Amino acid sequence: MLDVTPTPLQRLLRERRPGYTLAAPFYLSPDVFEADMEVIFGRHWIYVGVEPDVPEAGDVMVVDIGKTSVAIVRGDDDQIRAFHNLCRHRGARLVHEEKSTVGNLVCRYHSWTYDLTGNLIHAEHMGPDFERGCHGLKPVHIRSLAGLLFICLADEPPADFDAMAARLGPYIEPHNVRNTKVAFQKDIIEPGNWKLTMENNRECYHCGANHPELTVPLFAYGFGFAPEEMDEHDRANAERYGCLLKTRHGEWEAEGLPSREIDELDTMITGFRTERLPLDGEGESHTLDTKAACRKLLGTFTNAKLGGLSVWTQPNSWHHFLGDHIVTFSVLPLDAGRSLLRTKWLVHEDAVEGVDYDLANLTGVWEATNDQDSELVGICQQGVASPAYEPGPYSPHTEMLVEKFCNWYVGRMTAHLGR
Amino acid sequence: MTAAPAPAEPAAARLAASAPWDAEADDALVCLAVRDETHDVKTFVLAPREPRLFAYAPGQFLTFSFEIGGETIHRCYTLSSAPTRPHAVAVTVKRVPGGPVSNWLHDTLKPGDTVRALGPMGAFSCFSHPAPKYLLLSGGSGVTPMMAMARSFHDVGEPRDVAFVHSARSPADIVFRGELELMARLDPTFRVHVVCETDSADEVWAGPKGRLSLDTLREAVPDFLEREIFVCGPKPYMDAVRAMLKDAGFDMARHHQESFDFGELPEADKEAAAEAAEALDAEAAPAATVRTFRVEFAKTRRVLECPEDTTVLDAARKAGIRLPSSCAKGLCGTCKSKLTSGTVAMTHAGGIRQREIDAGMALLCCSKPTSDLVVER
Repeated sequence: MLDVTPTPLQRLLRERRPGYTLAAPFYLSPDVFEADMEVIFGRHWIYVGVEPDVPEAGDVMVVDIGKTSVAIVRGDDDQIRAFHNLCRHRGARLVHEEKSTVGNLVCRYHSWTYDLTGNLIHAEHMGPDFERGCHGLKPVHIRSLAGLLFICLADEPPADFDAMAARLGPYIEPHNVRNTKVAFQKDIIEPGNWKLTMENNRECYHCGANHPELTVPLFAYGFGFAPEEMDEHDRANAERYGCLLKTRHGEWEAEGLPSREIDELDTMITGFRTERLPLDGEGESHTLDTKAACRKLLGTFTNAKLGGLSVWTQPNSWHHFLGDHIVTFSVLPLDAGRSLLRTKWLVHEDAVEGVDYDLANLTGVWEATNDQDSELVGICQQGVASPAYEPGPYSPHTEMLVEKFCNWYVGRMTAHLGR
Repeated sequence: MTAAPAPAEPAAARLAASAPWDAEADDALVCLAVRDETHDVKTFVLAPREPRLFAYAPGQFLTFSFEIGGETIHRCYTLSSAPTRPHAVAVTVKRVPGGPVSNWLHDTLKPGDTVRALGPMGAFSCFSHPAPKYLLLSGGSGVTPMMAMARSFHDVGEPRDVAFVHSARSPADIVFRGELELMARLDPTFRVHVVCETDSADEVWAGPKGRLSLDTLREAVPDFLEREIFVCGPKPYMDAVRAMLKDAGFDMARHHQESFDFGELPEADKEAAAEAAEALDAEAAPAATVRTFRVEFAKTRRVLECPEDTTVLDAARKAGIRLPSSCAKGLCGTCKSKLTSGTVAMTHAGGIRQREIDAGMALLCCSKPTSDLVVER
């Protein structure tokens, strides 16, 4: 019999009770945070942005994942590449702004110059024996899923990206992410562990009590409910929603718009889920009047009543693809108690602000919702720090996706750390 | 009887000239005369086809472009002529065994032939260092700038105490011997001393023999320590003179030297000569002129002149303005600057995006002005 003493984290993982929130150290411990950065964010596909973040050759976007800074570059061949954002000379940070446009990538310290494929093309005073070929930028794995950019910091990234892309791609492609532009981006720092941010996202149990704006277009029923507890009014609405879902899915699928649920949230290494959900009211968009926020529709759409295609990926993203715009979210951990939530609103690349869309109307619902969620994550973070905190049970009707998130997390951590 | 119109007298027309020579407008000089100075030294007298006046400081040089054997070769020659006789210039060239240019000049260049030249350039001149007493020291072909200086002082007739000490291989190799003796005879403030290494076949040298030494110098010019000293000659000669003067406790701030060997020229002169050579090459059309534009740096409030064939970065460097730069070939973009006004011709190598160019940015290392410029630097 092996006599192995498990680390505290291994013990925590082993002792996690399915169906219950995680133990306090998962949200509080700097050690667990470090393990999260190494295992979850260091070895899985992380959603970081969209192709329209670097629309043209020479465009660069910098994304920081923990201590790692990555420069995402579109080259003259139109290919998008990612590199570790540090000079191979003395290690200076190469690109400093989140978004910039460059001719070549030049270190401002000693002017070492790299072309957009990462080759070192200029370095003065290094002598005749210096081999430029050995000092190119270090590449980082990057993949585009129908225009959504994922990077992986591991030498060998999970191999099931293609499997996800094959199934998820057809859902996203009609919205034509590549022909959009980032109309607005908002970064907020949520005062909570990244898992609390993700858990909050993976349920709409809290929506009725906290999101007066979001629940105008969004049916909370789309994320599960317990019918036996509802009053007549709610039950009637839920039935109306059920019928709507069935009819709409049929219509959309017939139009060539994949709509039915696929759920691989905790059954793949690169976990994901998608489903196209009907919207309330006019049924067009995530706006307060439920009508399209942008006159120029996406892709080849001629009708905005396409509901909202929801996409979730593990460990750090969710997205809403509408007929007229896209809202996309990525979560990047800062430390055990703080997380960056980065939201981008995309509209057709030819849409003109003030003419085709009003920015306040476009962003209103999710700006409000994000602020509300940030507060909820904050009070949760405060609570789990209490000595009185003990894991609580998830609702089997409305928090299945939260449980799947935690199950995926525990599974991935265990796979890397052992039991 | 009617008088036939008098034929135009070319010399009279030349003397009547009033416009200064502008090499940028007309770089073609016609060889007017070739004179034998010694058995292996010739002087070539040159002037533009249209009569013009040459203005320069004695000691300055021209950069020439010679077409020799289908090849363009550039050489710098110090003017041996004096600006006091401004209607023509002269270079005095010693035949160098195996030297492609000196041999070509000696064997081929004749009156009526044309050469191309730019200048004058160079900072080596007595005019830059006014003094009551001069000592001119030359070895071999280094005599040319000294001769230009001696002739200038002689011609203007100002009382100026000039001692000229020349080192030659043998009496037969003393360039300008007759003229130097004549100037000394006519002008008591001009004294000339020649040191010869050896006798020549038909003359035993009666003056000091061997190489120039401190003793020889003291004897010839006892007050040399009080003089502004100009030195030109082969490198070993100049090195020896420099050491000698240091030993004698001479104030080296008053010592000025220039080699007639291009490789030994001071950097600034070398650059000017190289640039002139480039300019001579660049001018395909004989009448082509290089325009110059005004470049203003808005933040540092510096203004400079930039020829249209020079990059803004180069012009700034020459003017002593420091601009951030690294690769100097349009690759790294370190010199990227905003042009507040004006236009440039830019040949970059990927260091700038079209969008940046559209937004008024330029890489100064590979941008040549096509108009006056205001640069946000």
